[in-house]
Amino acid sequence: MAHLTLLLIALPLLSAILIVLLADSLQKRIARLSVVFSFITLILAVFSLVVNSSAQHFDWLSLGMAWGSSPLDPLGSVMATLVSAISLIVHVYSTRYMAEDPGYARFFALLDLMAASILLMVMAGDLITLLVGWHLVGVLLYFLLGHDLQRPAAERYAFWTFFTYRLGDLPLILAAILLYQAYGTWSLPALFEHIGNTPDTQTLFGLPLAATVGFLIAFAAFARSAQFPLHGWLPYTMEGPTPVSVLMHAGIVNAGGFLINRFAPVFIHASAALHLIFAVGLVTAILGSALMLTQNDIKKALGYSTMGQMGFMLVECGVGAFSLAIYHLIAHGVFKGTLFLGSGSMIGSARKHDGLPHDDVYTFVVERKPVGSRQPWILAAAITVVVPFLILGLSHWLVDGDFVIKQGAIILLFFGWVTGAQLLFLTYRLRSDNPWRLMALIIVSLTIVVAGYTLMEHAFELLLYPDQSMSAQIFAAASIPVATFEVLVTIITIAGVAGWLLMFYSNSNHSKVGKGASVTRLALYSLISREFYVSDMYAWLTQALLALSQRLNVWLRWL
Amino acid sequence: MAWLLLATVFLPLFPLSMVLNATLGRFSHPLARCMLLLLWPQIGVLAIHLAGTTIPSAFLPWALLSAGLYALRLLTVSDLGVYAGFLASSSLALTWGLAISGADVAGLSFFAFCFSFPAALLTLLVGPLSKRFGAAYAGVCSGLGSALPRLSSVLVLTILAGIATAPFPTFFAQLTLLSKMNWSGALAVLAIWLIWGFGAARLLRGFVFGKPSATSAVDIGRSAVWALAISFGIFTLASLYLAGGAA
Repeated sequence: MAHLTLLLIALPLLSAILIVLLADSLQKRIARLSVVFSFITLILAVFSLVVNSSAQHFDWLSLGMAWGSSPLDPLGSVMATLVSAISLIVHVYSTRYMAEDPGYARFFALLDLMAASILLMVMAGDLITLLVGWHLVGVLLYFLLGHDLQRPAAERYAFWTFFTYRLGDLPLILAAILLYQAYGTWSLPALFEHIGNTPDTQTLFGLPLAATVGFLIAFAAFARSAQFPLHGWLPYTMEGPTPVSVLMHAGIVNAGGFLINRFAPVFIHASAALHLIFAVGLVTAILGSALMLTQNDIKKALGYSTMGQMGFMLVECGVGAFSLAIYHLIAHGVFKGTLFLGSGSMIGSARKHDGLPHDDVYTFVVERKPVGSRQPWILAAAITVVVPFLILGLSHWLVDGDFVIKQGAIILLFFGWVTGAQLLFLTYRLRSDNPWRLMALIIVSLTIVVAGYTLMEHAFELLLYPDQSMSAQIFAAASIPVATFEVLVTIITIAGVAGWLLMFYSNSNHSKVGKGASVTRLALYSLISREFYVSDMYAWLTQALLALSQRLNVWLRWL
Repeated sequence: MAWLLLATVFLPLFPLSMVLNATLGRFSHPLARCMLLLLWPQIGVLAIHLAGTTIPSAFLPWALLSAGLYALRLLTVSDLGVYAGFLASSSLALTWGLAISGADVAGLSFFAFCFSFPAALLTLLVGPLSKRFGAAYAGVCSGLGSALPRLSSVLVLTILAGIATAPFPTFFAQLTLLSKMNWSGALAVLAIWLIWGFGAARLLRGFVFGKPSATSAVDIGRSAVWALAISFGIFTLASLYLAGGAA
């Protein structure tokens, strides 16, 4: 099994080398070679997942040095399977999509190197290997995003991504250095064992080591997963080729969630870091969703949608549901990849005909215009609030009776309830020949989705964290004092319900409410459309730094 | 102390680092510049060894400020020859951090070599660029990625090696240095590392990206690329082995 891991990383690397060597002789056929290697890699990854998920003890690959080790655990295997699958899809898609590109061979070589780097990162069992993989992903992404060498915008945003990723590398390196200085080893399992045995170890300024490392890991995850205010690069990466967008939005950007899971034993002793992750994730989810709503470019809207999803993923980590974050990133990867790969066709067909469904669903959901008839709203509101709550509560209770006593679980249920209720509210607003039949269909769909989601989450919990006590410890670390928690839940519930009521009132009295709030709405809209001026602030800082550099060089006469 | 002061010229600390950059400017032949960059820091390491004394801790902030100053200045450098000199000035100053931590002469020599090697290769690349474009100047030699893919690949790899990108030896040298520093020193080194990346991306923008400035220029030969690839390969593998064994 140990050799399997080596092969998983070596195959894409070998493919990249062969492409460089044979590009001139094989011409466009070089892509087939790359696809074949990707396919074999996926087969090996699936095999590794099957073996590792059923194994009692994890196998261990080690080259006998400080670096080059892999734990062959379920987390690594799950991630390797996801990465290999997305990589294969991107390879197959690119064979035709990039066919007219002059840098065809270079593109496939870079794709293979990227696959090898991500696999190295997800399967790393020591800090050096992890750092090498983590670092290389950012560098290779720069060249993939800037693949169209003659397009200034592609290079500009590739650079932005590169710089943000380098910024995110720094806390991870610092965390690695602190751990190495404290315990004298780079091996991840050995480090986790040390932290477990001596959780009160202190580091700089007498701060607890585990908490400090937890914060540093969180910062690295924020940069990699486009969390506010390090999100600006994500929507603009659409300037790169579509296959790269897929690879990034479906795979690379999820690395933050993976990193937090990899360092799960550290977060058991880093409650404050988990709370920060929750807060940053929540802010990102809200801002990402708000920014998405103001876009008129489908790919940019998808970019901000990814930002919002990454926020949700970190919220899950923040409440202690680590395995759920992994399930989330896989599900998001699959559906976002599909959307990106289909976006080109959608744009193409939209150019021929608008394709807009001129019915009530479109009128209400997209054009935001109220529709005529509706059901008694108090009855509908009661159903929309109660039904999602019952479905969510019952499905979780059936899978795991203890689940609902955990704070993190309650927060997740709350999110599920809000989402489900919003869906039913929207449905209620639609006009239909048989509204109750429509409502019943929506409720059945919601039940299937929630039950499936609950079962998958439970299965992932068992797969990734078979040690139930560890899972419980993470949930405990993520919890806050009961009184604070209850106050927060009450405030958020009131805010949510008040928001719904306001929206309902606003839609019911559209003409009266709309005019009074126009100035505030315009100010808010301009703030969002300028993306909260984050990019402007970075541009100003960059210009100031460059001006200083220029002045220094002139003063010192370029010596 | 005299040996240590001499070492500040060869493991360049500002303002004595200006001697290195002025000397580089005096040599017009790329090979002479290359040899100078390879030998210069080794003299500094020898001087530290001959000093045979504990290096005062005041040298650390001096070295970090010096490295930071040159990293900042790299941001607006467009001439590849000047860039190589500034990158060497910035990175070689960090050797003092390793020296203060008590590293032996072999370790210092290897660290200095790791960083002077890519800088020396960059000076070699000034030759083919000047021959084709009249100057090795970012913006003047634009669009190399489209027009001269082999030359641009070599340039990209060398620059990446110079700014301590994994898996090049400079990356592991940097990790070794960081593992021996206190948190404030480590933070400063990481900030310098970040600025190197910024500067490198700006330089690549002027060389590799954009519309080709000379479509008729002939690319460098395959043998030159192979020679560089093999030397980098050996260098990297040796470094990987040393990093794995030493850590």
